[in-house]
Amino acid sequence: MSASGKQSWTVRLREAGVRTMPPERLLPDGQPAYMSSWIYIFGVLTIAALVVIIFSGTILGLKGPAWWHYTSIGHFFNSIHLWAVELFFFFMVVHLWGKFFMAAWRGGRSRVWMSGAISFLISIAAAFTGYVSQQNFDSQWIATQAKDGLNSTGIGAFFNVLNFGQMYTYHVLLLPVVVIGLVSAHILLVRRHGIVPPIPLPELGVHGLAGADAAAVSAAETAP
Amino acid sequence: MSLAAIVNLNHPASYVHWGFFQMSISNLIVIILMIVVFAAAIALPFPGSRRRRNNS
Repeated sequence: MSASGKQSWTVRLREAGVRTMPPERLLPDGQPAYMSSWIYIFGVLTIAALVVIIFSGTILGLKGPAWWHYTSIGHFFNSIHLWAVELFFFFMVVHLWGKFFMAAWRGGRSRVWMSGAISFLISIAAAFTGYVSQQNFDSQWIATQAKDGLNSTGIGAFFNVLNFGQMYTYHVLLLPVVVIGLVSAHILLVRRHGIVPPIPLPELGVHGLAGADAAAVSAAETAP
Repeated sequence: MSLAAIVNLNHPASYVHWGFFQMSISNLIVIILMIVVFAAAIALPFPGSRRRRNNS
């Protein structure tokens, strides 16, 4: 409290943060029983792949195209980066299917769903700018093919896939910042709203569960 | 280098065609793998889940 009796903006920000995201919700003691299924691990696998992508991409960015094309260790990190991207999309698609068939937007979780869906779309753009930033014949081929397609939309003058500097900046700075920001928001929203419960089976009661498990599912479905 | 010899990538990709639909074999394999992993993730029991179910 300041001398004038008004709270400073830092205090108001802190209180709003704790109110929005209580520590026990941000880092909970445990998860509901219905989370004991392999389908729930694909979100964290996607994040793990993203961490490897960022790490290997940082190394590639530090060393440059000549290194990743002409040295063995450069090839190795280039391959790590490519296969981490393959796994990232693989896990993200399985995660997407799981959440789609679970109708994961239930219980006020629409922002969780939307942040995930937009992350997916932006990730595709991030991967595409990576393919045209390789600095080899493959990237030239992809870029010239894409240029024809993008020219038909009229965006070619603004988003020029033949411009390596522009594509590289999109790939190593602009789009990663957006993806990391959206994924962070997605994780925080999952923490705030809780893991989505299974779809109810009315003939079996609440999800076929009884007692404390049923109560936990009911509580999760009505979470804010 | 030795791994690269297992699958020779120095040729144009092979494609499957169903009418207007066209897809590379490599993309088809990845999609089939995703479906298999998705089905396995739903069907396979998660370690520890049986004990918890018996207790309820």
